[in-house]
Amino acid sequence: MLLEVRNLSKAFGGVKAVDDISWSLEAGETHCIIGPNGAGKSTFFQLLIGRQRPDSGAILLESSDITRTHAFERARLGLAVKPQTLGVFGELTVEHNLRLCLQRAAGGHVLELALAEELDQLGLSGKRRFLARELSHGEKQWLALGMAMATKPNLLLLDEPTAGMSASETEQTVGLIKTMSGAGTAVLVVEHDMAFVRSLSVATTVFDNGRIFATGTLKDIEQNEDVRRLYLGKRGAMKLRH
Amino acid sequence: MQRAWSLINGEVEPGRGAVFWTAFVCLAAFMAILPLFVGRFTILNMNSFLLMSFMAMGLALLWGVAGILSLGQSAFVGLGGYAYGVLAINFANVTGQTPLALIGGVATAVLLAAIMSWIIFNGRLRGVYVAIITLVMALLFETFLNQTAGPQWLVGTAHLGGNNGLGRFSGDIQELPSLSVGPGSWAIELSGPSLQLYYANLMLLIICYVLLRMLVNSRFGLALNAIREDQERTETLGYDVRLLQSIVFCIGAALAALSGVLYVSWGNFITPSMFGVASNILPVIWVAVAGRRSLFAAIVGAVVLQWASQALALQGEYALIVLGAMLVIAVLLLPEGLISLATRRPRPQVGGAGHAP
Repeated sequence: MLLEVRNLSKAFGGVKAVDDISWSLEAGETHCIIGPNGAGKSTFFQLLIGRQRPDSGAILLESSDITRTHAFERARLGLAVKPQTLGVFGELTVEHNLRLCLQRAAGGHVLELALAEELDQLGLSGKRRFLARELSHGEKQWLALGMAMATKPNLLLLDEPTAGMSASETEQTVGLIKTMSGAGTAVLVVEHDMAFVRSLSVATTVFDNGRIFATGTLKDIEQNEDVRRLYLGKRGAMKLRH
Repeated sequence: MQRAWSLINGEVEPGRGAVFWTAFVCLAAFMAILPLFVGRFTILNMNSFLLMSFMAMGLALLWGVAGILSLGQSAFVGLGGYAYGVLAINFANVTGQTPLALIGGVATAVLLAAIMSWIIFNGRLRGVYVAIITLVMALLFETFLNQTAGPQWLVGTAHLGGNNGLGRFSGDIQELPSLSVGPGSWAIELSGPSLQLYYANLMLLIICYVLLRMLVNSRFGLALNAIREDQERTETLGYDVRLLQSIVFCIGAALAALSGVLYVSWGNFITPSMFGVASNILPVIWVAVAGRRSLFAAIVGAVVLQWASQALALQGEYALIVLGAMLVIAVLLLPEGLISLATRRPRPQVGGAGHAP
């Protein structure tokens, strides 16, 4: 078991954003978490990366308790993150963005080689001197993903990785995630774009009201009447509001 | 050797390459021969301008690089100066050694900075709250020291002296010793109008500048830049943001305290006004107008604007108004300071600008 969550709860005011969730992820597994807005996905994500502290429950990474561990220590334990907001440093060059991720693990010649390799993989070698804010939106997303993966983590947490991407960029991202997964990295994707989840086609958990609503293969989920009603209901409600 | 040079000439700190270094060497050479052409009074003034550059560089490092705006850097100048003075008064006559008092002055400021940074960064304060808490710290010192005129405020033989400032408690002699470096009769005294202080200032400044450049271009410096941009993201990349912030805060305090010690050595006096609002705001103006992202601009800004305020002060009470106006104009028109006129980078061409590692 790579990541295990036991009876995790977090409330804001009186609202239980995450309500007694128990869940786990095997090493090398790719898993999606979906759910309507306000289902608790993002809070769950924040709890996993250490930006929020749970009210109760425990988080275990490779059987050691990381519930009270700082975000930076979790990163050092092999947990990489791509946050929902663009995870790049706009005023730093592309090269410096990647250097930041790589320099903790390696130095000297090894660092330069790793850097060149990473730039090459991302197709950004020609733009290494660009400031990250000068890149196109898609390129920024790529860079952010590249930064999360550069350290060869055990576990990669992606919060809405395809937000604002074009269809072809989304398709490329799916390929990238599959490559990572093939290389043995466990990937957890929090997403609400169903098209993306469909093309990824992996085990999926549905959140609603801070609880796990359903879990299973994507096929199970798609054929689950309750899930359909949940999504349809919310969408209907949203249409009414507009 | 090559590694050291690549750190000094690195890409993180603005200003690099042949043109910059030629200008740098020319300026250093000009400063080195300046005493041949000017009188003792100019050297006296120049000494007081140069010695504040250490604090200005510290502020550029804190604010421009790490994104921490401190409005209390002069508190560390003052504390360094007071601690140096107290130690020098008590021990210099016995041992003849003021360098130990120098170390003591810097150490005292760093100790306070460590405590302050624990409060500030452990409490996750940022932005305007850091500015407020550092200014309040400075004003607390000012208020406290202003009421130490009574005879009970003695530290050994040093009298804190209220708003008259620190002095020796023996009748009328209110004198603080200058730094004196070297053994016995070879000792060099770094007093106000002396060339010794001038060249010591200049050499220390170049050494500190080069060391700070190396720091900014190092891994540590890159992490500081990242913290300025996005603290949370830097944390998720495995950096202990609070530790790094505390370290840079202490470095800034150490540089400020060095300014304070040199200030006391220069003027043989220090008063609580060093902790006041004006003392704390002026360095922010020097650094903002010249360019907070560049250590070099901080030095130039500190020297030129101190010279300008003194020149203006001779014309009347307009110096603060003019400096305030300069700050407003700089913030509106050149948010990165005057240096940005020189370092504005052209948009790089795809592929062309890259270099082999």
